[in-house]
Amino acid sequence: MEIPERQDDIFEAARSILSRLLDLMAIPASIAVSDEFTVADEDGNASSVGLNIEGEDLGILIGRRGQTMASLQHIVRIIMAHQMQVRLPIVLDVEGYKKRRCEGLRALAERLAEQVKTREMPFTMEPMSAFERRVIHLALADHPDVSTESTGFGETRKVVISPRNI
Amino acid sequence: MKDLVEYIAKSIVNEPDAVNVEEETNDEGITLKLTVADDDKGRIIGKQGQIAQAMRTLLRVKAAKAATRVRLEIM
Repeated sequence: MEIPERQDDIFEAARSILSRLLDLMAIPASIAVSDEFTVADEDGNASSVGLNIEGEDLGILIGRRGQTMASLQHIVRIIMAHQMQVRLPIVLDVEGYKKRRCEGLRALAERLAEQVKTREMPFTMEPMSAFERRVIHLALADHPDVSTESTGFGETRKVVISPRNI
Repeated sequence: MKDLVEYIAKSIVNEPDAVNVEEETNDEGITLKLTVADDDKGRIIGKQGQIAQAMRTLLRVKAAKAATRVRLEIM
């Protein structure tokens, strides 16, 4: 994806913070722009900054269910928010792990939607992070037969898929 | 270990000069003692301790690679 010129500095800043953190953690890796998670609005400005960390044996950086990756993303976001005037969501991926997880979630959403439609019964999914729930909501936003909403609080918040016309 | 915490802390506080990290090694591994200006404490700990938690997670990765254990104390 082409990075809009006036946003070059945001990508550069995010990349340099991340690169510094990886150096300090003694993890050799390179950083590329993630096409999947760099989203542009109608005017062609980036509305999110996606970076993919690439290298050998980076499982340690992903962590159980992506926990370590989430911590790294949190720290980069906080540093960016403190240093830059412009605020854009930073989305970090490691070796396309999050991208594959999103594809899996979209496929799962489609299958469950079919099931909910056939059985005419709501289905409650496993607890998921805000980001993952968002993927499900977006995947089914235009679905003609089902609607989605999140219920519960904190760590146990989950998506419920319900038939539309009952 | 110390430099990682120092970099993160100095990058998110309003008074970077007040950031200090002491590193101690004993049988159980490494203990890091982080001190910041009083007004910056909240920034280091974060909402529901999220930032402190994230720093500990990153430290754990580095410690695992170095085959040791690390504790982070915020003073």
